[in-house]
Amino acid sequence: MPTTTSSSSSAASSSGNRQADVFSRLASSDPEVKLKALREVKNQIIGNRTKKQSFLKLGAVPAIASALSECDNSSILVQSAAALGSFACGFEAGVQAVIDAGAFPRLLRLLTSSDEKVVDAGARSLRMIFQSNQAPKYDFLQEKNMEFLFSLLNSENENVSGLGASIIAHACGTTVEQQLLCDAGVLEKLVILLDGSLSQREACLESLATVLKSNPEAVSRFVGLEAGRYLSSVTELTKDRYPRTRLLSCLCLVVIYNTSPSYFLNMGTKSSLVTTLLELLNDPGQSGNEAALGLSSLIAEKEDLQKLAYEANAIKNIVDILKTGSELHPKRLQGLFLSLAELCSKLEDCRCSFLSLEVLDLLVNALRHKNADVRTAACICFKNAARSVKNLSAGRFTTDHVMLPLVQLLHDPSSAVQVAVLGALSNIVLDFSSPKSTFIEYGGIKQLIELSKSMDPNARCSALRALRNLMFLADNKRKELFYSDVKAQGFASLISDPEPTVQEQALALLRNLVDGCINSIEFVFDEDGLILDSVARQLRKAPQAQMAIQGMYVLTNVASGTELHKEAVMQQLFPQPQAESNNFMLKFLQSHESQLRSATVWTVINLISPSSPGALDRHVKLRNEGIIPQLKNMVNDACLDVKIRIRTVLSQSMSFGDN
Amino acid sequence: MSLFRIFINQLDEDDLEMASSKKVITREEWEKKLNAVKLRKEDMNTLVMNFLVTEGFVEAADKFQRESGTKPEIDLSTITDRMAVKKAVQNGHVEDAIEKVNDLNPEILDTNPELFFHLQQQRLIELIRHGKIEEALEFAQEELAPRGEENQSFLQELEKTVALLVFEDASNCPVKDLLDISHRLKTASEVNAAILTSQSHEKDPKLPSLLKMLIWAQNQLDEKAVYPHINDLSTAQLQDPSE
Repeated sequence: MPTTTSSSSSAASSSGNRQADVFSRLASSDPEVKLKALREVKNQIIGNRTKKQSFLKLGAVPAIASALSECDNSSILVQSAAALGSFACGFEAGVQAVIDAGAFPRLLRLLTSSDEKVVDAGARSLRMIFQSNQAPKYDFLQEKNMEFLFSLLNSENENVSGLGASIIAHACGTTVEQQLLCDAGVLEKLVILLDGSLSQREACLESLATVLKSNPEAVSRFVGLEAGRYLSSVTELTKDRYPRTRLLSCLCLVVIYNTSPSYFLNMGTKSSLVTTLLELLNDPGQSGNEAALGLSSLIAEKEDLQKLAYEANAIKNIVDILKTGSELHPKRLQGLFLSLAELCSKLEDCRCSFLSLEVLDLLVNALRHKNADVRTAACICFKNAARSVKNLSAGRFTTDHVMLPLVQLLHDPSSAVQVAVLGALSNIVLDFSSPKSTFIEYGGIKQLIELSKSMDPNARCSALRALRNLMFLADNKRKELFYSDVKAQGFASLISDPEPTVQEQALALLRNLVDGCINSIEFVFDEDGLILDSVARQLRKAPQAQMAIQGMYVLTNVASGTELHKEAVMQQLFPQPQAESNNFMLKFLQSHESQLRSATVWTVINLISPSSPGALDRHVKLRNEGIIPQLKNMVNDACLDVKIRIRTVLSQSMSFGDN
Repeated sequence: MSLFRIFINQLDEDDLEMASSKKVITREEWEKKLNAVKLRKEDMNTLVMNFLVTEGFVEAADKFQRESGTKPEIDLSTITDRMAVKKAVQNGHVEDAIEKVNDLNPEILDTNPELFFHLQQQRLIELIRHGKIEEALEFAQEELAPRGEENQSFLQELEKTVALLVFEDASNCPVKDLLDISHRLKTASEVNAAILTSQSHEKDPKLPSLLKMLIWAQNQLDEKAVYPHINDLSTAQLQDPSE
């Protein structure tokens, strides 16, 4: 069967000769010959990626671009513009070549031609270029550019006004640009195109979404136009007969909803938006790919919409698409996995129904996908599905089959993937109840420690969070395994990380490490108490509450140990000689954060626990430092937990003869 | 659509009796009701023009425009171009058709891989039909195989088409349908629809769907009443229920 790659040399070379022949005629001085050659190239490359590639290699793009500038024969202009447009259509290398050949300003010049066909050809090709990320930046801040843009939008020619809308969709990125375009009246112009031709309407919907995105002011301006008439028009277009129009109007509504949810009070609108996007997922083309990402963005962090989607059978639909077996576009895979991740983020019903569809193989395959965005999305999906305690404790995620690819992703070249897989592992390692675990066998701990030294603060933070969960109620053997690798020096530098969020995770990890038996506490005394010193140093620096909470729990856990341990904590709390401002314990007790007050009271409880011989002395010290009197002032603390702990302290206090 | 609504609304105004005893409407009463339905002549003309334009009857559309003053939805010259493309495919001149589409709007085939593949496939079929085996093989390999690599379903269709070469007597093989004229017509109507869509025009005329609605409405009404039917759509003659 003569398909695929088996290339008989005769065919290949004869087609190569033909291309070279056409190419040489492009440079002909005879306009008739040149025109014929241009038309031939155009007809060969339209719809044909392979031919675009081979003509590109021959250097056809600069040759055609020069045809565009050399003459004013309108047939030649039309053919060369169309050929350049085709090179730029869906072919990134082609866009680059067209721009490099200097064709962009020449195409712009065609728009001023008196021949309508030339204008059409120029506008079409420019629109192709503006659909690519490589299109030149269009600076709206320059007044003459803004004027030019409006001259395009005002044009009677549908290709030209469509081009205007495409430029906005491509080039408007910042809030300043959005504001500028709104102030210049671009919304009023765009809504006219909503009633225009198919291509005008599509370009208009895309640019509306760009101008309105995350800009509440622009949204309220748009909705205010003719008392909401155009919001209704866009909503109406979600029922259009063209799938592309339905998609673009949905994406526009998603942007409006995510920016200003107050315009979507009507439950019916929300649910029809969800169902329309779900239907569009089945579109095999580009629209289906974009619908998946649109859906995930619509339901992100919105429990009510997740519920609507779940009730509309979203999980089953998406899993069915994933199971079709045909190769899906990476963008679609990313969107589908992100949508599943959102669905599993809050609702336990969703997680259970998702996992009941035997999807682990799908997820595991996606972890190995060549596209980093797909791998990231699959990790997030894992993370959220593993929030299901029921499924987690059933050991569904801790099999070798799942664990090996996850651990391998810790070495991923993309830091987004690393952060995402750390998130997934953080949730999954909570289930490592058995002392012998695959994760550890595969060298997971070592790799997490490696990542805790990453250049990317997000990766450091996520690695420490995973380690923190891994050390939660861990046995001594696992703790030893971890500590022997990090050592006191390593831990101290984690606690002193420049990023507060990393410091917080490091302290939380330490809190879990020193929780449990007496042996665990010994870690902080390694190398002359280097770690304990670092903790106290951070606490003295008036840290953020979240960090202070973790730090105080470290002290609480250490203070639960032997007499020696308790004295060491006292030493850190009240070092000699002490500067006045250093009494951080007193400050923490006055914090607005009830959890910090609670953690601090816990430390006191452990320090004066009556079973230990030095408790009385420590109580005297705490009273003299003003801690006990402060606690007496707090007997009616607003937080119940704090109040109960304080009662415990005070009853211990009474047993020491203190009233 | 609006015509249809008026029709239904007028029927609703008369309280039809309970389902157990169907109301009988005589021809005289029925015609009186039908005459009471007000239809704007312009609406009827628009409907006719829509049909002529969509189906590509350019001369008829032109004449109808002059006689009735009804404006066509699109420039009539584009119909001529579209029909030329359609005709070229119907006659088996696919390469010619592709060039014409590209002159009309280069975006159509650049953004519609399925249509592009079907046209190329039709080209291959024509080569096979004319016994140009060498050329057909070269064409399949050079033009179609890369599309098959891009898309699994194209590959299957391509395999089916190339299978034509295997049989001594192609007119009697399992894939002989590909050589049928109806396959040309299918491809032609696919191109026709794509061009109409690119011109923001509906790809089907409104009239046939209105007639379908008429039949549906009669079926609905049959459950409630006995009345004169339109059975022959080409004459729209009313037929008494007893006939």
